[in-house]
Amino acid sequence: MPKDILNSNFFELFDHAVSYDVDLNKIQQQYMELQKQVHPDRYANASDQEKRVSMQRTSWINEALSTLKDPVLRATYLLALKDLDVNLDNETTMDAAFLMQQLEMREKLENIRDEAEPLVVLDVMARDIKKSSLAMMQSFSQSYENDLLDDAREWIRKLQFMEKAKKQVNASIADIEDELLGS
Amino acid sequence: MALIQIAEPGESTTAHQHRLAVGIDLGTTNSLVATVRSGIVNTLPDAFGEHLLPSIVHYGEDDIQVGDTAQQLSVSDPLNTIISVKRFMGRGKEDLSVEDLHYSYEFAETESAVPRIKTRSGDVSAVEVSAEILKALKRRAVDTLGDELSGAVITVPAYFDEAQRQATKDAARLAGIEVLRLLNEPTAAAVAYGLDTGNEGIIAVYDLGGGTFDISILRLNKGVFEVLATGGDSSLGGDDFDYEVARWISACAGITFQDPAIKRLLMQHARAAKEALADQESIEINLDADDVKWQGVLDREQLKQLLTPLVKKTLMSCRRALRDADIENESINEVVMVGGSTRTLIVREMVADFFECEPLTSIDPDKVVATGAALQADVLVGNKSDDEMLLLDVIPLSLGIETMGGLVEKIIHRNTAIPVAKAQDFTTYKDGQTAMAVHVLQGERELVNDCRSLARFELRGFPPQVAGAIRIRVTFQVDADGLLIVSAREENSGTEASVDVKPSYGLSDNEVETMLRDSIEHAEDDMHLRSLREQQVEADRVLEALDAALAVDARQLLSEQEMLVISQARQELVDVKSSADNDAIKKAIKHLEAACEDYVARRMNSNIKIAMQGHSIDEYASEPDSDAGER
Repeated sequence: MPKDILNSNFFELFDHAVSYDVDLNKIQQQYMELQKQVHPDRYANASDQEKRVSMQRTSWINEALSTLKDPVLRATYLLALKDLDVNLDNETTMDAAFLMQQLEMREKLENIRDEAEPLVVLDVMARDIKKSSLAMMQSFSQSYENDLLDDAREWIRKLQFMEKAKKQVNASIADIEDELLGS
Repeated sequence: MALIQIAEPGESTTAHQHRLAVGIDLGTTNSLVATVRSGIVNTLPDAFGEHLLPSIVHYGEDDIQVGDTAQQLSVSDPLNTIISVKRFMGRGKEDLSVEDLHYSYEFAETESAVPRIKTRSGDVSAVEVSAEILKALKRRAVDTLGDELSGAVITVPAYFDEAQRQATKDAARLAGIEVLRLLNEPTAAAVAYGLDTGNEGIIAVYDLGGGTFDISILRLNKGVFEVLATGGDSSLGGDDFDYEVARWISACAGITFQDPAIKRLLMQHARAAKEALADQESIEINLDADDVKWQGVLDREQLKQLLTPLVKKTLMSCRRALRDADIENESINEVVMVGGSTRTLIVREMVADFFECEPLTSIDPDKVVATGAALQADVLVGNKSDDEMLLLDVIPLSLGIETMGGLVEKIIHRNTAIPVAKAQDFTTYKDGQTAMAVHVLQGERELVNDCRSLARFELRGFPPQVAGAIRIRVTFQVDADGLLIVSAREENSGTEASVDVKPSYGLSDNEVETMLRDSIEHAEDDMHLRSLREQQVEADRVLEALDAALAVDARQLLSEQEMLVISQARQELVDVKSSADNDAIKKAIKHLEAACEDYVARRMNSNIKIAMQGHSIDEYASEPDSDAGER
């Protein structure tokens, strides 16, 4: 009897090894195959019951894809599979040097308008953030593969900071561009 | 592979025939209905050969007129003639802008959250007016095609929020139309050009109508349409083109523009000249009224000069949308032209220059949205065997809830693929609290006041306990139409908390029910008969779906005992379905559904399993014996 997909983990669902390093192309392909079977459009004429079941399964598959695509959500999910509940709203890194760096970055962002070429500075910041994020993802992956779960957890907390910083930098770029083009 | 099913004598076999499905473009200015016949998609004309139905409704002494006849009455009876009603769909009273109040009809003072327009036959909401337009299109389809409608795909602008989508669906319900899917207009346009069969790329849909301009940037990735950005100008369109040309004529002819009659005359000539220049280099204009006489020539070069500033304005909106989408002009792979005003050559040229790519114009720009909707409707009712086509859509705006301090916490982010479900836990903050209020909002901003209020829920009926002891899990489910369904459950005791949904701007279920009862079409029917008939149709649908399923995989998926239970419940439904007992049919359907619950889930899982192994269902079904042996 086939296993109910609502009981399978997101990696099994996409026929992918449980790992932080994912083949997003393969996952995307598998995602489409699954959608072709369960999407509500396939059941537009079916009974209400089948429509409900289809909507549940599709929602689950969508949830799986968005989790595996996102670097922080994917990491958190991997730890959840090991019964480690990471709650990023309530926990944070205690690495003083790292926090200091983050504070400096925030300050720089707040005073970005004092810069002669704010957009150039922002572009450099965005690149740096991307580089650090990639390094952290690698570190997470290694810690996870070596079952150093506390280390892995610490990397997620830091990665979360970088994601926030990335958003702030992007928002700042959009603001300044708006002003330049709007005038 | 499907078994040939033979109906009992006297029983209808329509269920197995070609199903009649239509695509409906419910537009601000004009609406259309299209369908696929013998593999060819066409919009349907009325008895006079007109395809476009003006989206205008006139409420008369004892009848309601829609379309051209309503348009003719709009001059003599403006108070009872409703135009541009789409602007009010899903909007609240406080959303009415100053411009809206310039429409010649009056808004009534009411208790309801939605604005109602005063007419001779009582106050009507935008939903009811839209329902009249939908009814007219439905009649046209049924008259032309000579059969009942199975369902319709109705298009909505990509930026429509939940309330506006819900209002559109309510209007369809009032009109007695089964909505197969609400489809984004730009997605429909892309489908009309068959772009969904391509694998990936960025598509711009440039939609310039009579009075509005919309630009949408879509990303197509393996059959999934993602709306990256939308923009536009709600008061710029072909009418402004005509106005520019009319002013030019008046300047050349040395006549004043003030007199309404002369203005109308000039606008008519301007429009005709503009349209003629789509096919020829120049056009002679001949004003020959009693007090207005002038002859002159308008050529393409002159028209270009007149219209360039207006087209530039649309390109500004395009630039903004591209920036919102974080896309460069040259990354655009295809540009789809929609709306009658894109026939003007200068528009096509300037759009081609801007996007650095030749726009798609082979389909009539007035009909392209309805065409795409019809193609999708045909797939959804199962007429098209090609099951490779699948459109996946995303939610256009984030959904969130109000938290302390008037802030919004996002629960489902924009551009998340739908359907989607997210659960959120809530807890009490006072001892003995037995109810809590949840406020759902839609939008991208941080503050409640900057987002759109969708609904307020009250969760009630949980036992009084100390603060924080109660844990309510609220599930926000967004379906494939982008509509929200909420359910709640108290986690510790497992009791289902009751949810009262108060849509902020939509109509409550009660209001819709009342309208259904009040509407003339339903008053003529007997309400009971109608609901009985609906129940019988649902019974047939359940039985048909079940029999088809059992024929394929009952042997693989069901034990003898399970099969017995299902057969009994099935027989029970067969026995009562022709009776006049509405409740008994309802109960029998529920009973059968309960009996089939595991089976339905197993079927879906089994299909998934096959998909994951890369086999098709046909391969699976053609060798039942080998598979049955494994059980």
